[in-house]
Amino acid sequence: MTDAILSSPFFGLAVTCLAWCVGLWVQKKTGLVLCNPLVIAAALIILLLVVFRIPYSSYKQGGDLISMMLGPVTAVLALNIYNQRKLLREYFLPVVVGCLAGCLTSIGSILLLCKFLLVEESIAVSLMPKSVTTAIAMAVAESQGGIPGITAAAVLVAGSVGAMFAPLFAKAFRVTNPVAEGIAIGACSHALGTTKALEIGPLQGAMSSIAICICGIITSVLTLFL
Amino acid sequence: MSIMAEIAIVFGVCLVSEGIAALLPFTFPASVISMILLLALLLSGIIKERHIDRVCRFFVGNMAFFFIPPCVGIIEHAETLAACLLPFLVISILTTPVIYLVTAWVIQLMMAARRKKEVSSHD
Repeated sequence: MTDAILSSPFFGLAVTCLAWCVGLWVQKKTGLVLCNPLVIAAALIILLLVVFRIPYSSYKQGGDLISMMLGPVTAVLALNIYNQRKLLREYFLPVVVGCLAGCLTSIGSILLLCKFLLVEESIAVSLMPKSVTTAIAMAVAESQGGIPGITAAAVLVAGSVGAMFAPLFAKAFRVTNPVAEGIAIGACSHALGTTKALEIGPLQGAMSSIAICICGIITSVLTLFL
Repeated sequence: MSIMAEIAIVFGVCLVSEGIAALLPFTFPASVISMILLLALLLSGIIKERHIDRVCRFFVGNMAFFFIPPCVGIIEHAETLAACLLPFLVISILTTPVIYLVTAWVIQLMMAARRKKEVSSHD
Protein backbone atom coordinates (compact mmCIF):
# COMPACT_ATOMS: atom_id res chain seq x y z
CA MET A 1 0.00 0.00 0.00
CA THR A 2 2.82 2.36 0.89
CA ASP A 3 4.18 1.95 -2.60
CA ALA A 4 0.83 2.81 -4.16
CA ILE A 5 0.58 5.93 -2.02
CA LEU A 6 4.11 7.10 -2.71
CA SER A 7 3.87 6.52 -6.45
CA SER A 8 0.69 8.57 -6.79
CA PRO A 9 0.91 12.25 -7.79
CA PHE A 10 -1.68 12.91 -5.11
CA PHE A 11 1.06 12.38 -2.53
CA GLY A 12 2.91 15.52 -3.64
CA LEU A 13 -0.29 17.48 -4.15
CA ALA A 14 -1.79 16.66 -0.75
CA VAL A 15 1.45 17.13 1.17
CA THR A 16 2.12 20.52 -0.47
CA CYS A 17 -1.38 21.86 0.22
CA LEU A 18 -1.23 20.65 3.81
CA ALA A 19 2.25 22.11 4.42
CA TRP A 20 1.12 25.44 2.93
CA CYS A 21 -1.83 25.59 5.33
CA VAL A 22 0.49 24.88 8.27
CA GLY A 23 2.82 27.63 7.01
CA LEU A 24 -0.04 30.14 6.79
CA TRP A 25 -1.18 29.20 10.28
CA VAL A 26 2.30 29.66 11.77
CA GLN A 27 2.69 33.04 10.05
CA LYS A 28 -0.66 34.18 11.42
CA LYS A 29 0.24 33.05 14.93
CA THR A 30 3.71 34.62 15.00
CA GLY A 31 3.35 37.55 12.56
CA LEU A 32 7.07 37.40 11.79
CA VAL A 33 8.47 38.14 8.31
CA LEU A 34 10.97 35.31 8.81
CA CYS A 35 8.13 32.84 9.40
CA ASN A 36 7.28 33.03 5.73
CA PRO A 37 4.69 30.36 4.86
CA LEU A 38 6.76 29.32 1.83
CA VAL A 39 9.86 28.70 3.96
CA ILE A 40 7.90 26.81 6.59
CA ALA A 41 6.04 24.67 4.03
CA ALA A 42 9.20 23.78 2.09
CA ALA A 43 11.10 23.01 5.31
CA LEU A 44 8.28 20.77 6.56
CA ILE A 45 8.18 18.79 3.32
CA ILE A 46 11.97 18.39 3.25
CA LEU A 47 11.84 17.23 6.86
CA LEU A 48 9.10 14.72 5.99
CA LEU A 49 11.09 13.34 3.04
CA VAL A 50 14.30 13.06 5.05
CA VAL A 51 12.82 11.60 8.23
CA PHE A 52 10.74 8.93 6.46
CA ARG A 53 13.39 8.34 3.79
CA ILE A 54 10.91 9.05 1.02
CA PRO A 55 12.69 9.53 -2.32
CA TYR A 56 12.41 13.04 -3.78
CA SER A 57 11.11 11.50 -7.03
CA SER A 58 7.90 10.39 -5.25
CA TYR A 59 7.21 13.94 -4.15
CA LYS A 60 8.22 15.34 -7.53
CA GLN A 61 5.32 13.67 -9.38
CA GLY A 62 2.75 15.84 -7.64
CA GLY A 63 5.15 18.73 -7.12
CA ASP A 64 5.74 19.08 -10.85
CA LEU A 65 2.02 19.57 -11.42
CA ILE A 66 2.11 22.53 -9.03
CA SER A 67 5.27 24.13 -10.38
CA MET A 68 3.81 23.80 -13.89
CA MET A 69 1.37 26.51 -12.81
CA LEU A 70 4.21 29.01 -12.39
CA GLY A 71 3.67 29.94 -16.05
CA PRO A 72 0.08 31.15 -15.53
CA VAL A 73 1.11 32.72 -12.21
CA THR A 74 3.63 34.89 -14.06
CA ALA A 75 1.20 35.64 -16.90
CA VAL A 76 -1.43 37.07 -14.59
CA LEU A 77 1.10 39.62 -13.25
CA ALA A 78 0.15 41.44 -16.46
CA LEU A 79 -3.09 42.48 -14.79
CA ASN A 80 -1.07 44.18 -12.03
CA ILE A 81 0.73 46.40 -14.47
CA TYR A 82 -2.49 46.97 -16.48
CA ASN A 83 -4.28 48.23 -13.37
CA GLN A 84 -1.43 50.67 -12.70
CA ARG A 85 -1.20 51.93 -16.29
CA LYS A 86 -2.19 55.51 -15.41
CA LEU A 87 0.56 55.84 -12.82
CA LEU A 88 3.01 54.17 -15.14
CA ARG A 89 2.22 56.60 -17.96
CA GLU A 90 2.70 59.54 -15.61
CA TYR A 91 6.16 58.46 -14.42
CA PHE A 92 7.16 56.33 -17.40
CA LEU A 93 10.71 57.54 -18.03
CA PRO A 94 11.99 57.74 -14.43
CA VAL A 95 10.41 54.36 -13.66
CA VAL A 96 11.88 52.53 -16.64
CA VAL A 97 15.32 54.14 -16.31
CA GLY A 98 15.28 53.46 -12.56
CA CYS A 99 14.37 49.80 -13.09
CA LEU A 100 17.04 49.45 -15.76
CA ALA A 101 19.63 50.94 -13.39
CA GLY A 102 18.45 48.60 -10.63
CA CYS A 103 18.65 45.50 -12.84
CA LEU A 104 22.10 46.43 -14.15
CA THR A 105 23.31 47.02 -10.59
CA SER A 106 21.79 43.74 -9.49
CA ILE A 107 23.35 41.60 -12.22
CA GLY A 108 26.66 43.51 -12.12
CA SER A 109 27.10 43.34 -8.35
CA ILE A 110 26.14 39.66 -8.21
CA LEU A 111 28.53 38.65 -10.99
CA LEU A 112 31.31 40.73 -9.45
CA LEU A 113 30.82 39.20 -6.01
CA CYS A 114 30.61 35.70 -7.51
CA LYS A 115 33.94 36.22 -9.23
CA PHE A 116 35.46 37.74 -6.09
CA LEU A 117 34.21 34.92 -3.84
CA LEU A 118 35.12 32.23 -6.41
CA VAL A 119 31.56 30.93 -6.68
CA GLU A 120 30.88 28.04 -9.01
CA GLU A 121 29.42 28.92 -12.43
CA SER A 122 26.13 27.04 -11.93
CA ILE A 123 25.58 28.85 -8.62
CA ALA A 124 26.46 32.24 -10.13
CA VAL A 125 23.86 31.74 -12.88
CA SER A 126 21.30 30.67 -10.27
CA LEU A 127 21.94 33.80 -8.19
CA MET A 128 21.93 36.28 -11.08
CA PRO A 129 18.15 36.84 -11.34
CA LYS A 130 17.62 36.76 -7.55
CA SER A 131 16.14 40.28 -7.27
CA VAL A 132 13.13 39.65 -9.50
CA THR A 133 9.95 37.81 -8.65
CA THR A 134 10.34 34.04 -8.11
CA ALA A 135 8.41 32.87 -11.18
CA ILE A 136 10.51 34.95 -13.56
CA ALA A 137 13.77 34.41 -11.65
CA MET A 138 13.43 30.63 -11.83
CA ALA A 139 12.53 30.68 -15.50
CA VAL A 140 15.57 32.88 -16.23
CA ALA A 141 17.89 30.69 -14.14
CA GLU A 142 16.61 27.54 -15.81
CA SER A 143 17.01 28.92 -19.32
CA GLN A 144 20.61 29.86 -18.45
CA GLY A 145 21.46 26.47 -16.96
CA GLY A 146 21.11 27.38 -13.29
CA ILE A 147 19.49 25.44 -10.45
CA PRO A 148 15.90 26.73 -9.89
CA GLY A 149 15.81 25.60 -6.24
CA ILE A 150 18.86 27.69 -5.36
CA THR A 151 17.38 30.66 -7.24
CA ALA A 152 14.16 30.31 -5.27
CA ALA A 153 16.12 30.33 -2.01
CA ALA A 154 18.14 33.42 -3.02
CA VAL A 155 14.98 35.24 -4.15
CA LEU A 156 13.48 34.50 -0.77
CA VAL A 157 16.51 35.81 1.13
CA ALA A 158 16.61 39.02 -0.95
CA GLY A 159 12.86 39.50 -0.54
CA SER A 160 12.97 39.05 3.23
CA VAL A 161 15.89 41.47 3.56
CA GLY A 162 13.93 44.05 1.56
CA ALA A 163 10.70 43.49 3.45
CA MET A 164 12.43 43.79 6.82
CA PHE A 165 14.77 46.70 6.14
CA ALA A 166 12.98 48.80 3.48
CA PRO A 167 12.03 51.60 5.94
CA LEU A 168 15.60 51.59 7.29
CA PHE A 169 17.05 51.82 3.75
CA ALA A 170 14.86 54.86 3.01
CA LYS A 171 16.16 56.61 6.12
CA ALA A 172 19.81 55.63 5.66
CA PHE A 173 19.94 56.55 1.95
CA ARG A 174 17.76 59.68 2.39
CA VAL A 175 15.08 58.54 -0.04
CA THR A 176 12.08 60.84 0.35
CA ASN A 177 10.34 60.61 -3.01
CA PRO A 178 7.51 58.02 -2.76
CA VAL A 179 7.87 56.96 -6.42
CA ALA A 180 11.62 56.36 -5.96
CA GLU A 181 11.01 54.51 -2.71
CA GLY A 182 8.35 52.22 -4.20
CA ILE A 183 10.32 51.34 -7.33
CA ALA A 184 13.49 50.74 -5.31
CA ILE A 185 11.67 48.33 -2.98
CA GLY A 186 10.20 46.42 -5.93
CA ALA A 187 13.54 46.36 -7.76
CA CYS A 188 15.53 44.89 -4.88
CA SER A 189 12.96 42.68 -3.18
CA HIS A 190 10.05 41.99 -5.60
CA ALA A 191 6.70 40.77 -4.22
CA LEU A 192 7.89 40.22 -0.65
CA GLY A 193 9.11 43.81 -0.50
CA THR A 194 5.88 45.00 -2.11
CA THR A 195 3.91 43.79 0.89
CA LYS A 196 6.01 46.17 2.99
CA ALA A 197 5.73 48.97 0.41
CA LEU A 198 1.92 48.71 0.63
CA GLU A 199 2.21 49.24 4.39
CA ILE A 200 4.37 52.36 3.86
CA GLY A 201 1.86 53.94 1.47
CA PRO A 202 -0.47 53.24 -1.49
CA LEU A 203 1.75 55.07 -4.02
CA GLN A 204 4.83 53.17 -2.81
CA GLY A 205 2.88 49.90 -3.05
CA ALA A 206 1.62 50.57 -6.58
CA MET A 207 5.09 51.60 -7.74
CA SER A 208 6.62 48.53 -6.15
CA SER A 209 4.24 46.21 -8.01
CA ILE A 210 5.00 48.03 -11.27
CA ALA A 211 8.72 47.47 -10.60
CA ILE A 212 8.18 43.71 -10.17
CA CYS A 213 6.90 43.37 -13.74
CA ILE A 214 9.28 45.83 -15.40
CA CYS A 215 12.38 44.50 -13.63
CA GLY A 216 11.30 40.96 -14.51
CA ILE A 217 11.13 41.82 -18.20
CA ILE A 218 14.37 43.84 -18.16
CA THR A 219 16.29 41.13 -16.29
CA SER A 220 15.20 38.36 -18.63
CA VAL A 221 16.24 40.49 -21.62
CA LEU A 222 19.58 41.50 -20.04
CA THR A 223 20.58 37.91 -19.26
CA LEU A 224 20.28 37.14 -22.98
CA PHE A 225 23.41 39.19 -23.53
CA LEU A 226 25.54 37.40 -20.93
CA MET B 1 -17.91 34.62 -17.63
CA SER B 2 -17.62 31.00 -16.58
CA ILE B 3 -14.57 30.18 -14.50
CA MET B 4 -13.53 27.52 -17.02
CA ALA B 5 -13.53 30.12 -19.78
CA GLU B 6 -11.29 32.33 -17.65
CA ILE B 7 -8.90 29.44 -17.09
CA ALA B 8 -8.99 28.62 -20.81
CA ILE B 9 -7.94 32.19 -21.68
CA VAL B 10 -4.99 32.17 -19.26
CA PHE B 11 -3.84 28.67 -20.27
CA GLY B 12 -4.30 29.61 -23.93
CA VAL B 13 -2.03 32.64 -23.52
CA CYS B 14 0.59 30.40 -21.87
CA LEU B 15 0.31 27.84 -24.65
CA VAL B 16 0.74 30.43 -27.41
CA SER B 17 3.75 31.83 -25.50
CA GLU B 18 5.40 28.40 -25.42
CA GLY B 19 5.03 28.37 -29.19
CA ILE B 20 6.54 31.85 -29.51
CA ALA B 21 9.40 30.88 -27.20
CA ALA B 22 10.16 27.87 -29.41
CA LEU B 23 10.25 30.10 -32.50
CA LEU B 24 12.67 32.63 -30.98
CA PRO B 25 16.32 32.14 -32.00
CA PHE B 26 17.46 32.57 -28.35
CA THR B 27 16.27 31.05 -25.06
CA PHE B 28 13.75 33.34 -23.41
CA PRO B 29 11.41 32.32 -20.56
CA ALA B 30 7.97 31.50 -21.98
CA SER B 31 6.36 32.77 -18.77
CA VAL B 32 7.72 36.28 -19.36
CA ILE B 33 6.43 36.16 -22.94
CA SER B 34 3.00 35.15 -21.64
CA MET B 35 3.03 38.14 -19.26
CA ILE B 36 3.90 40.55 -22.09
CA LEU B 37 1.35 38.90 -24.41
CA LEU B 38 -1.43 39.13 -21.82
CA LEU B 39 -0.54 42.77 -21.14
CA ALA B 40 -0.72 43.52 -24.87
CA LEU B 41 -4.13 41.79 -25.10
CA LEU B 42 -5.41 43.81 -22.13
CA LEU B 43 -4.08 47.12 -23.46
CA SER B 44 -5.54 46.51 -26.90
CA GLY B 45 -8.92 45.70 -25.32
CA ILE B 46 -9.14 42.22 -26.89
CA ILE B 47 -9.26 40.77 -23.38
CA LYS B 48 -11.09 42.72 -20.71
CA GLU B 49 -10.27 42.64 -17.04
CA ARG B 50 -13.54 40.88 -16.25
CA HIS B 51 -12.54 38.01 -18.58
CA ILE B 52 -9.69 36.90 -16.33
CA ASP B 53 -10.50 38.61 -13.06
CA ARG B 54 -11.20 35.59 -10.83
CA VAL B 55 -8.34 33.43 -12.11
CA CYS B 56 -5.94 36.32 -11.61
CA ARG B 57 -7.11 36.89 -8.08
CA PHE B 58 -6.69 33.20 -7.29
CA PHE B 59 -3.17 32.97 -8.71
CA VAL B 60 -1.90 36.26 -7.30
CA GLY B 61 -3.52 35.64 -3.92
CA ASN B 62 -1.89 32.22 -3.56
CA MET B 63 1.28 32.98 -5.49
CA ALA B 64 3.83 31.70 -2.99
CA PHE B 65 2.12 28.30 -2.82
CA PHE B 66 3.30 27.48 -6.35
CA PHE B 67 6.93 28.00 -5.36
CA ILE B 68 6.94 25.26 -2.74
CA PRO B 69 7.92 22.35 -5.05
CA PRO B 70 10.97 24.16 -6.54
CA CYS B 71 12.08 25.07 -3.01
CA VAL B 72 11.77 21.43 -1.93
CA GLY B 73 13.91 20.70 -5.00
CA ILE B 74 16.89 22.18 -3.13
CA ILE B 75 17.10 18.79 -1.41
CA GLU B 76 18.60 17.45 -4.65
CA HIS B 77 21.30 20.13 -4.59
CA ALA B 78 21.94 20.19 -0.84
CA GLU B 79 25.65 19.43 -1.23
CA THR B 80 26.22 22.13 -3.85
CA LEU B 81 24.46 24.68 -1.69
CA ALA B 82 26.18 23.63 1.54
CA ALA B 83 29.56 23.99 -0.17
CA CYS B 84 28.88 27.64 -0.96
CA LEU B 85 26.46 28.63 1.78
CA LEU B 86 28.49 31.62 2.98
CA PRO B 87 28.99 33.31 -0.42
CA PHE B 88 25.35 32.48 -1.20
CA LEU B 89 24.14 34.37 1.87
CA VAL B 90 26.64 37.22 1.50
CA ILE B 91 25.62 37.83 -2.12
CA SER B 92 21.87 37.49 -1.52
CA ILE B 93 21.91 39.87 1.45
CA LEU B 94 24.56 42.47 0.55
CA THR B 95 23.43 43.24 -2.99
CA THR B 96 19.89 44.12 -1.85
CA PRO B 97 20.64 47.55 -0.26
CA VAL B 98 23.00 48.38 -3.15
CA ILE B 99 20.20 47.83 -5.69
CA TYR B 100 17.85 49.89 -3.52
CA LEU B 101 20.32 52.76 -3.29
CA VAL B 102 21.06 52.95 -7.02
CA THR B 103 17.43 52.58 -8.16
CA ALA B 104 16.05 55.11 -5.69
CA TRP B 105 18.67 57.75 -6.43
CA VAL B 106 18.45 57.43 -10.21
CA ILE B 107 14.71 58.12 -9.91
CA GLN B 108 15.08 60.89 -7.32
CA LEU B 109 17.63 62.70 -9.48
CA MET B 110 15.47 62.34 -12.60
CA MET B 111 12.38 63.60 -10.78
CA ALA B 112 14.33 66.52 -9.34
CA ALA B 113 15.59 67.42 -12.83
CA ARG B 114 12.04 67.21 -14.18
CA ARG B 115 10.72 69.47 -11.42
CA LYS B 116 13.47 72.00 -12.08
CA LYS B 117 12.58 72.02 -15.76
CA GLU B 118 8.89 72.55 -14.97
CA VAL B 119 9.69 75.40 -12.59
CA SER B 120 11.95 77.15 -15.08
CA SER B 121 9.38 76.78 -17.87
CA HIS B 122 6.81 78.50 -15.63
CA ASP B 123 9.03 81.59 -15.21
